[in-house]
Amino acid sequence: MSSIILEAREIRYRYPRGMEAIQGISFHIRKGEKIALVGPNGAGKSTLMLMFNGMIRPDSGVILFDNEPVSYDRGSLRKLRKRVGFVLQNPDRQIIAPTVYQDVAFGPVNLGYSESEVKQAVTGALRYVGLEGFERRPPHLLSGGEKKRVAIAGVLAMDPDLLVFDEPTSGLDPSGSEDIMELLDELNLQGKTIIISTHDIELAYPWADRAILLLEGKILQEAIPDVAFGRPEYVRQAHLSMPILLDIYFELEKRGYLLPERKPRTVLDMLQVIDVAFEKTPCSHASPGTISVFDVDSSPHDSLPGWLASHPDASIGAMGTRAKQHAADNQITLDFTYGVIDKCILRAIIGESSLILTSTGMVRRVEQRVLEFDTISGINVPVRLIDP
Amino acid sequence: MYEKFLEDIAQANGLREVNTYVKLVAGLGAIILCLLSTSFIAPLFIAVLLTGAIILLARVDVRTYAELFIVPFWFAAMSVIVIILLSGGSEVYWSWTPFSWLSISISAESLNEGIFVFCRVIGGMAALIFIALTTPMTDLFIVMRRCRVPEVVLDLVMMIYRAIFMIMHLLVLTYQAQVMRLGYSSFRESIESFATLCGSVFIASWDAGEDLVRAMDARCYAGKFALLGETGPVNGYSLAAVGLFLLASSVIVVITRDIVVI
Repeated sequence: MSSIILEAREIRYRYPRGMEAIQGISFHIRKGEKIALVGPNGAGKSTLMLMFNGMIRPDSGVILFDNEPVSYDRGSLRKLRKRVGFVLQNPDRQIIAPTVYQDVAFGPVNLGYSESEVKQAVTGALRYVGLEGFERRPPHLLSGGEKKRVAIAGVLAMDPDLLVFDEPTSGLDPSGSEDIMELLDELNLQGKTIIISTHDIELAYPWADRAILLLEGKILQEAIPDVAFGRPEYVRQAHLSMPILLDIYFELEKRGYLLPERKPRTVLDMLQVIDVAFEKTPCSHASPGTISVFDVDSSPHDSLPGWLASHPDASIGAMGTRAKQHAADNQITLDFTYGVIDKCILRAIIGESSLILTSTGMVRRVEQRVLEFDTISGINVPVRLIDP
Repeated sequence: MYEKFLEDIAQANGLREVNTYVKLVAGLGAIILCLLSTSFIAPLFIAVLLTGAIILLARVDVRTYAELFIVPFWFAAMSVIVIILLSGGSEVYWSWTPFSWLSISISAESLNEGIFVFCRVIGGMAALIFIALTTPMTDLFIVMRRCRVPEVVLDLVMMIYRAIFMIMHLLVLTYQAQVMRLGYSSFRESIESFATLCGSVFIASWDAGEDLVRAMDARCYAGKFALLGETGPVNGYSLAAVGLFLLASSVIVVITRDIVVI
């Protein structure tokens, strides 16, 4: 178990002349976790999150960051805010400067970085969110998803350890939401701890390591997603709806099918559950298709066109911003942009080959996920790295 | 309601990547030459050339440019008519004295003067519009800093710039919401709707301002507004083109100094 990065002990907060928004909350979050904070409007999610970077000071109780109680003098707050990046719900409220470059540079400049360091931080952050070439654009001419990315880049440029997102997908179209969720995954893989607040159960359910259900300023439940979202009475109290996959699982269970213990979190998991329930062998094809992996960072780029030419039927997915950028640059039409590994395993089960474009850090993830699938299902899906 | 700003056109114009100073030298140089010229030919030449540059090089929509030009054009035309009619001269073509204290006349000198002033105005206008349409504010900030505009002023200017678009957006949203619910349907109603519009946008922008402070705090604000990006590098072609343009205009200013219409 990794160490605790953020902890709250019995915190309470009452708005001036208002109701008590936070009524005694305690929890802890470990380094590298992905946490979803869910609850109805007015449950205190935003208020709670604003305490994570010291924007709101609790009336009583302590917040500990990296095992140190948060202190509220100017210097300590600056240090805290460098390490806790906060992305507001409305990017228009977060973007301060007249151009994308200036806005992303805002944090680093105020942290006293030198000009070349600022430039490096900004370029890196913009590259990360896939907004290279947007430096001189004014924010009011960007789309909602692009603005959100600028806001995220502005926070990433300060290289925080903990990222807090208030409703990261609100106001975005489904594909934009998926892109953002994948960006969060990518950040998490790089060791960042991520806390999001959301109403979107379907996105949070497969994504989160743990979910915290808030209701009227108290924690209703704090558990892994299938437990947190799997209790109908809690889900109802928290004005949520049960994730559709869980719903199907429970309905199958009620009909008396024998199901695997593990609750399905993705379509792939669900299909495995169905296969078990109906006692079918999962693979109706003689041999599963191959998943090829192309590393956009290290594999030589000229090996890709040849592969594409020899596999015209393969489905192609891209994981991560750089991989998507690479696909866009090379006019590769993507079939999958979210949940790519699962989609490719699904293709493999029915005997089709697929290709995953990804960056170096994520190659291992593909192998892990496929191996995980192999052990559960007993099928051996071959994964190959494209090399010259 | 105006939702497309000049700034938006400038952000997307074809000369965006040309070095800001080169564009400013072209525009300001043209204005100075228009003022120095003693004949109508040089300003006319500048107006035609810059109009061509705006439409062909900066790829600004002809309609947009015409709409921009039409207001100062009519203003200049009317002022010039007054100049022609009221200023006197020795070679009078037509005159009329309706009252003892007022006499209207058209003379060679007044015609010359009128046409000269008119050409100067459209030359200067073309140069101003050239700057406005090819150089967005965001690029001018960099120039302002170079020109030692105080940091505080510059920070304010940049925040105001950002705020203008935010408030304008709020304004459009609120206005549309009012129109959808039949605001502005009668004169009385219009006044009431307008008052509500002002009030609600004021409150909303106040909120936005508080949020801005919070956003800046959350990102470790320590009195430094972000530094500026860089302007595009000075490109040989653009420099040569501007040099040639200013040189040609200067030559025309000198050789046409005595030419008059009549």
